[in-house]
Amino acid sequence: MKKWGLAAVLILMIGTAVFLLSKPADTKIDKLVLTGSSTIAPLAAEIGKRFESLHSNVRVDVQTGGSSRGVSDAKAGLADIGMASRALKDDEKDLHSFTIALDGISMILNRANAVAALDKQQITAIYTGKITNWKDVGGNDAPITVVNKAEGRSTLELFLHYFGLKNTDVKPHVIIGDNQQGIKTVAGNPDAIGYVSVGAAEYEASQGAAIKLLPLDGIVASVATVRDRSFPLSRPLNLLTRNGPTGLAKAFIEFATSPQVHDLIEAEYFVPVQH
Amino acid sequence: MSKNALATGLICLVAVLVTSVFFWLLTDLVIHGLPRLSGPFFVEASQNAGRSGGIGPIIVSTALILLVAIVTSAPLGLATAVLLSEFTRPGSLFGRLVRRSLDVLAGVPSIVFGLFGNAFFCIYLGLGFSILSGGLTLACMVLPLLIRTAEQGLQVAPNDYRLAAAALGMSRSAALTHLLLPAAMPALVAALLLAIGRAGAETAALVFTSGYVDRMPDSLLDSGRALSVHIYDLSMNVAGGDANASAAALVLIGLLLIINTIAMSLAKQWRIATP
Repeated sequence: MKKWGLAAVLILMIGTAVFLLSKPADTKIDKLVLTGSSTIAPLAAEIGKRFESLHSNVRVDVQTGGSSRGVSDAKAGLADIGMASRALKDDEKDLHSFTIALDGISMILNRANAVAALDKQQITAIYTGKITNWKDVGGNDAPITVVNKAEGRSTLELFLHYFGLKNTDVKPHVIIGDNQQGIKTVAGNPDAIGYVSVGAAEYEASQGAAIKLLPLDGIVASVATVRDRSFPLSRPLNLLTRNGPTGLAKAFIEFATSPQVHDLIEAEYFVPVQH
Repeated sequence: MSKNALATGLICLVAVLVTSVFFWLLTDLVIHGLPRLSGPFFVEASQNAGRSGGIGPIIVSTALILLVAIVTSAPLGLATAVLLSEFTRPGSLFGRLVRRSLDVLAGVPSIVFGLFGNAFFCIYLGLGFSILSGGLTLACMVLPLLIRTAEQGLQVAPNDYRLAAAALGMSRSAALTHLLLPAAMPALVAALLLAIGRAGAETAALVFTSGYVDRMPDSLLDSGRALSVHIYDLSMNVAGGDANASAAALVLIGLLLIINTIAMSLAKQWRIATP
């Protein structure tokens, strides 16, 4: 019994060594490394798979870590291409950025809520706790449940920036992580208000989720208004390079900004950009 | 009498509560994940960011990461445990120093190991995002656990064994291989099990080392997504990924249970084979 165990361990170790050394050396494989925003990562991985199927001997490796990581890795040259789910800040303008898709952020209410629209002041007042009942903004006599995003989400950053708020000003009742959780929370509570990605909300509403999208500054929240850039609360999903892209990185960026990947972008509930 | 009954009742209640938490969790996973489990799920590659398709490459990557971690940490861990328990005087400065630093290392959060692994294995040693980097990082992470459990196992072996071996003129290494290690075998296997369990459930340390790529790995130098990373991404980052996340979680629990059972039965047989 003991001998068998030893033999098994030996075989495993030899197998590992063989596997380690068996990397095919005859075929030259070009590797493209992307790091950054976890929002873009699933989309970039899908685009990468399609890119690989068109170019043999190319591998696209996508790694996550957040938009800031995408920016710093692109700057330091640790990644061929960085990913950031926001526009570049002023001190990052030395990088080249390429927008592959847009993502809008929409205020959502439960479908049963009588309120049809809220202006900027009303939303600010609701999120800072100055208005706590729906009857103050033309709805039923019911307390408002404020749903906010968790710290560190770029959706939160964008929301706060647009409404000129600090996160410490916000008086939330529920704190959520991702879009799906936000949609489920508002769909299950007739008095809740929240904000999520437009594409995901529109898709879920069309699938029968009990939510409705509120217009912002009088502009309907939809994929269409995000696409024509009239919707005010949206962000670009960017690919970043240190210098002007060359070679494989250039080919990949051209592919990722071409109509050949629009179906992949829509499958992730983002909005393709017309170039 | 009634006091006794009360105490028994309370203890039973606590036991039921603890197990019911486990069964609640398991039931939830089974309800959401079982419909997705099928033969092809275990072998196919994931599609559409993991919403559809299977987890074949991810299982392979996970197994390779665990293999690297165990193959590198087990000999080191066993040797250190033997050194601490058999070849250092109890209470010596060296032994105290090693034990104290191991205990400190055991309390370090796994994300710190992840950042260390990224800086040391991926960047400094140039291994990049790879299964090798991930496995070595996990090896560092489980070493303290492995050493301390194995050391306790060795110390449990009765001192009579050592004295009798010395009286018979056996060398220390002979006493070790023929008496002490067989006697401590169940504890050593338990240590290995704990290490595999800890490594298999690890997410934070792997995101930055073995990475996010869900392709079938060709060698240990390829990036490979671990099951736990896949589950985290599907449930937190991908809209509509919940069902496959539950299915993948079921697979992870199943794998750990199988490893557990095999190791336990091995330990039992070893013990019977060596009187």
